[in-house]
Amino acid sequence: MLQARSRMVTITREFFLSRNYLETDTPALAPSLIPESCLEVFETEYVHPTRGRMPLYLVPSPEIWMKKVIAATGRSVFQLCKSWRNAESVSHIHNPEFTMLEYYGVGLSSTDNIHVTEELFAALATDETPLQAQPPFRVMSMKEAWHEFAHADLDALAEPEAMREACRERSLLVPNDAPWEDAFNILFLSIVEPALPQDRPLVLNEYPAGIECLARDIPGTMYKERWELYVSGIEIANCFTEMASPEAVRAYFASQSEKKRQALVPHAIDDSYASIFEHFPPCSGVAVGFDRLLMVLLGKRSLAEVMLFPFEFQGFTQKPSAR
Amino acid sequence: MVRGGEIGIGTCLLINGTPHIVVEREFVNPGKGSAFARVKAKNLKNGNVITQTIKTADFVEDAQVDLVDCQYQYNDGEFFHFMNNETFDQFEVPVAAHEDRAPYLKEGETYTIVMWEGEPIDIKIPYKMVFTVVESENYVRGDTVSGATKPVTTETGLVVRVPLFIKQGEKILVNTESNEYVERVNE
Repeated sequence: MLQARSRMVTITREFFLSRNYLETDTPALAPSLIPESCLEVFETEYVHPTRGRMPLYLVPSPEIWMKKVIAATGRSVFQLCKSWRNAESVSHIHNPEFTMLEYYGVGLSSTDNIHVTEELFAALATDETPLQAQPPFRVMSMKEAWHEFAHADLDALAEPEAMREACRERSLLVPNDAPWEDAFNILFLSIVEPALPQDRPLVLNEYPAGIECLARDIPGTMYKERWELYVSGIEIANCFTEMASPEAVRAYFASQSEKKRQALVPHAIDDSYASIFEHFPPCSGVAVGFDRLLMVLLGKRSLAEVMLFPFEFQGFTQKPSAR
Repeated sequence: MVRGGEIGIGTCLLINGTPHIVVEREFVNPGKGSAFARVKAKNLKNGNVITQTIKTADFVEDAQVDLVDCQYQYNDGEFFHFMNNETFDQFEVPVAAHEDRAPYLKEGETYTIVMWEGEPIDIKIPYKMVFTVVESENYVRGDTVSGATKPVTTETGLVVRVPLFIKQGEKILVNTESNEYVERVNE
């Protein structure tokens, strides 16, 4: 495993360097982050020898720094680095500290990045790679997946009550005040996701705009230029055509900051982020859980089989706090 | 009420008025979304297994159940017959909804019955149980391949893989979740 992991890191570097991507090496500690209400972070602090203390956060992804480099240089960039996510259960597909691979192609769209990612898979595949993890990818839109596996027209479920009713019709428990996004996830996770084909890697394309993120809207539709890659039923990668309008980014920040008030680990928010989009080239980025990628390419079933030192519980010191 | 994040295997949920027992649970974090518990739950009236997804922060209704110790008596094909150890009341549990329990029911043995609104809805099986081997294939003496096993059948019809030295009529301890042999029991 040590050798396989080392080999895949080398191939990944060569893959992007040969395509003229710039390798970045951005900070793991940040004084402020972008607000993402779905993520919890790790908090620490800088202790000055005489003047006091300053809170710092371990980055849940290097995204914000890498986009600052793109804005400053106009170059395609990639990075392999540790990232941290707190308050997620530890399991065969979750480890609080993990290796992230992110790559941003300037001038590319999320569709172009499907091909880049397929080529990366082809470069990394070994004799051990099962068929389910080998390219070419199957591409299916979210709308097609809902039609095929839930027999539902996603376009007709744009209102919260319509989505909640679609859940109830399928005997799914859904709170009467559930926001659209929660009702969408309840139906998606109960019925659609378990039915997604697993014979080949699957790009689930065009996510609904009702799930807020920094991906560009597809004009005239309720969808965004965003895909997730599933291999053997496990999410491996997430890709956007990056939202590049400063106004849209500010609106996203405002909404997520509001939701972030309920966070277990609150953090300061980077207000400079939206301004980098005053001069930002068209670009598409992919974030890959690199440990998960190794796991599926090597035909393993658990992250612990591809990590040198997987996370171990050492006992808890405090009772859980109510969310 | 129970919070989504606190649901575990064995939690009894009230889904559309019917009690369901959770048989599988995984936490899922959909991309850019909140955490959810995805559970498979068995309808305790008809045995159907359904999938539900509950936000870990949300509450759902759980079934208020009582646990009662009862002695198993016999199976008439349609019903398992039990007797309440304290009140000596006799009652029936439909076989169709709990067929998977049949290989673990020994006549005269005490089991915990889950009661909901006065009705028996589930039979809890102890984690480890002793069974008697009633059928065992012969094996060739001298077959000493390390770890070699053979299938045997217990008095309740359960098939378990055991080491080759286990003989017909002997008692064995079995893990009832995995159906794995634990050890030979000497009396």
